Amino acid sequence: MAALQLPPKPKNSLYKKIKGILIFLIVAAIYIWTFVSIDIDFAKAIEQVRQNFGNVISGLFQPNWAATGDVALSMLETITIAFAGSLMAAILSIPLAFLAANNMMGGKIGSAVGKWILSAVRAFPDIILAILFVVAVGPNPFAGVLAIAIGSTGMLGKMFSEIIESIDMDVVQAMQANGANRIQILFFAVMPQVIPEFLSYAIYRFEVDIRASSILGIVGAGGIGTMIFFASSNRDWSQMGTILLGIIIVVTIIDFASAKIRRKIV
Amino acid sequence: MIEFKNVGLVYPNGTEGLKNVNVTINDGEFVVIVGLSGAGKSTFIRSINRLVTPTSGSLEVDGENILDYKGKNLRKLRTKVGMIFQNYNLVKRSNVLKNVLAGRLGHSGTLRSVLGLFKDEDKALAYESLKRVNIEEKLYNRADELSGGQQQRVSIARVLTQQPKYILADEPVASLDPPTSHQVMSYLKKINKEDNITTIVNLHFIDMAMEYADRIIGMRAGEVVFDGPVSEVTEKTFEEIYGRSIREDDLRGGADSVEE
Repeated sequence: MAALQLPPKPKNSLYKKIKGILIFLIVAAIYIWTFVSIDIDFAKAIEQVRQNFGNVISGLFQPNWAATGDVALSMLETITIAFAGSLMAAILSIPLAFLAANNMMGGKIGSAVGKWILSAVRAFPDIILAILFVVAVGPNPFAGVLAIAIGSTGMLGKMFSEIIESIDMDVVQAMQANGANRIQILFFAVMPQVIPEFLSYAIYRFEVDIRASSILGIVGAGGIGTMIFFASSNRDWSQMGTILLGIIIVVTIIDFASAKIRRKIV
Repeated sequence: MIEFKNVGLVYPNGTEGLKNVNVTINDGEFVVIVGLSGAGKSTFIRSINRLVTPTSGSLEVDGENILDYKGKNLRKLRTKVGMIFQNYNLVKRSNVLKNVLAGRLGHSGTLRSVLGLFKDEDKALAYESLKRVNIEEKLYNRADELSGGQQQRVSIARVLTQQPKYILADEPVASLDPPTSHQVMSYLKKINKEDNITTIVNLHFIDMAMEYADRIIGMRAGEVVFDGPVSEVTEKTFEEIYGRSIREDDLRGGADSVEE
């Protein structure tokens, strides 16, 4: 019986070693540089925490139950802002996704244009969009809806286009082979493959948007953020405690429901 | 009638898929194309419904050259030519009925079909097609709940619902086990005889070709190297087509256990 032979060692190991060391050095340098340059005064920070944090924490853990009604109403507004925004985004992002997907109508140029539009949209943080829309349509929940809608379109459009790119194109070919036109192919071969995933991501995005929209009120775009802004301005920590409790309860329920629904869909 | 006249096809990467092919296929024939993989069988079959487009010569279906067809003409041609694929190509998340009704798309208005409003006779035809391949009890099952053989039968029902004049089958049994393969081939043969639909099947199993074909066309490296009735075919013929001696894995076997 012949002796077992070990597999040969991989080649170009010197190059890989140098590359590894180089990457380690760069990461370490960035890490050290950030800590040095932000100049944290730990002694002062600890002192500050010791003085003020007691108030905040004790306030947060003694919620102002009288505010429950206002918080609930505000929270409901937040949920409706998130819902309207996600729904608008889910609809807006479908045509953009079909444009950006490289296996659909757009071809190479259309796909590049679509992807470029979607990244441009994604570049804006939700809060910046909210500030822009508060200026444009005034300080009301509609500004929040628009901010959420545009912000979510960027992400959903990208997700949807990737889902479209991953479909089984053989099915599309089968439909072509039995004489279907482009619109029929869209509805019979493409839609059944993508709709469940589309829905799943739209619901997930709604979940994210609940959290996003609870902060938008800080810049005047409606919802519970407005209450957060006033409570923190007035140093009213027990009011803040009620608000946070409301957010925690709603987010937990929505997360749970979303997970359940999404598992059913796909 | 399908007529290949000096048909050649060069792929963009320079591969010659077809070389000077001259073949006439008459109505009602059951033709099996044999050859090793890469011999041009798929290219030959896919030229007929223009999933690939030959680059020279002319290809006539019912007396019309189809090589310059576009848009509407092309869809009309494809409505007349049904196709069965190795991997069935069903929409896995749709149910069997919807998959079979997709065979009617070429005959249906866009708006009606998109809204799912198929005519009653289309639905009846779909159900009848499913009965003919004995899978009507799976009507409302999702396609991905079926076994490979059942999925291939659904795809045959889809083609039947299309009411084509020609059926092309590209390696329809390559993903199936021997008994199921024979079942699928028997259905194709039965349909060919009962409906007089011209059927062209790609196979690489010699015994199956011999059993089901009326006529065998042998291909090697893009060229037709044999064309004749099955009665003229011997083991020697296959050795010439394949350019080597016949091996065990050129045979599918299992012919005794046809029915379920």
